[in-house]
Amino acid sequence: MTPAELVWLIAAVAKGDEAAFERLYVATRAKLFGVVLRILRRQDLAEEVIQEAYVKIWNSAGQFNPSLSSPITWMASIARNRAIDVVRKRTEVSIEEEPAAMEVAADTPDPLARREMTEELKRLLECVGRLEPDRQKLVLLAYYNGWSREQLAAKFETPVNTVKTWLRRSMLDIRECLGL
Amino acid sequence: MMAHSEDDIALAAEYALGTLDADERAQVETMMSRDKDFTAIVAAWEYKLGILNQMVGSIEPPAEVWDKIKTAVGHAEPQPPLLLPDAAPPPPPPPPPPPPAAAAVVEPAAAPADTSNVIRLSAQARRWRRVATFTTAIAAALVAMIAVGVYQPDLLPDAIRPKPRVQVVEVKPPAVPAPSAQYVAVLQKDGGSPAFILTVDAATKNFTVRKVGAAAEPGKSFELWLISDKLPRPRSLGVIGGADFTARPVLSSYDTDTINTATYAVTVEQAGGSPDGNPHSAPVFTGKLIESVPSR
Repeated sequence: MTPAELVWLIAAVAKGDEAAFERLYVATRAKLFGVVLRILRRQDLAEEVIQEAYVKIWNSAGQFNPSLSSPITWMASIARNRAIDVVRKRTEVSIEEEPAAMEVAADTPDPLARREMTEELKRLLECVGRLEPDRQKLVLLAYYNGWSREQLAAKFETPVNTVKTWLRRSMLDIRECLGL
Repeated sequence: MMAHSEDDIALAAEYALGTLDADERAQVETMMSRDKDFTAIVAAWEYKLGILNQMVGSIEPPAEVWDKIKTAVGHAEPQPPLLLPDAAPPPPPPPPPPPPAAAAVVEPAAAPADTSNVIRLSAQARRWRRVATFTTAIAAALVAMIAVGVYQPDLLPDAIRPKPRVQVVEVKPPAVPAPSAQYVAVLQKDGGSPAFILTVDAATKNFTVRKVGAAAEPGKSFELWLISDKLPRPRSLGVIGGADFTARPVLSSYDTDTINTATYAVTVEQAGGSPDGNPHSAPVFTGKLIESVPSR
């Protein structure tokens, strides 16, 4: 489904079109579920979160602005925010459930790999790639796995306050690099 | 946005990144409810970082999730009850396909930290894609298309002034989402570079206008018109070009033949559009629809 079609479906959903909502769900559910399952790491929680996310998408479709975000990014943000809220409130989600670290992003990647990426993603990864190696991992683990500062501190064997400083500095560096 | 300190910007960024604790997240949400500019900063971060989700593999949720969502938003059951007393319960409405058996969380493999690079990231992403039911390439393509402007530039030069093909499209919206025919009109001036790209979905008659060149003079607006020999006068399709992307359903009141054979024209009107429903300038950009994505 093209982004234009998704924009249309969201516009129709904003008017209460139930058939459009189902099409939107079918077109996007697997992506959103993939995003939240990575963060929640539990099928039952991920199912709850995905339900809440689509209810919110149904209720707030009128607020989607296609000039500010792509449809899938907007929807994924809603789902991801719900997932993060849930893991932050569930302090018992333990660090033992940590996945192995995802490794990232500094060197020049091979052209084939790059061709699969959008320009926007390449640009973002270039900016992430300018951070020190530990901080690259820090940022990407935080995003993909939804880890808290405490989890990141444990992973990097660093005080939480240091992680806090690194995160802040990293985000400001990325901002400058992206020209935000 | 100038009113926001670096602290606020970092806070917005960390909210989007997800590293704030529950109290800080609540604080950010309170700030967002009071401050539109701050909300825009958060949204910009969410969008920038959201691009990372292109690399996340898709995983099918179980079918019952959809039933719960429908119930939660109060959708009526679409199946009327059958009169046969002992009939089997009606089949569920067009169901999401069943989930893959016990959709497992796909873990990226551990790798030595020192050799990390984007190649590995991509290689892992490819591996997840193979495991996942849907491919992330779909989402990547979505964002790429938004980024470069809906349709490939190589479509543009040759697509100019094609013989208007009259497509008789049977408008039967499929129950299961299927790609429907997409029509594109390149709106331009005398064969010059395109100013707008109009796309129409044949099944829904929804249209989208992507601004690729022109900017209206200050105090003026571009307005899009449908001109057809079946209609006594041009019909306004609304003001366009205020944003890069305009999407509207207003074509739904026209029949498919009219839509496919019409000329689409852009005029310069006073800010906000023609006050009386008639165009007030000669068309500055015009074009006709051609089929770009055939229906299958």
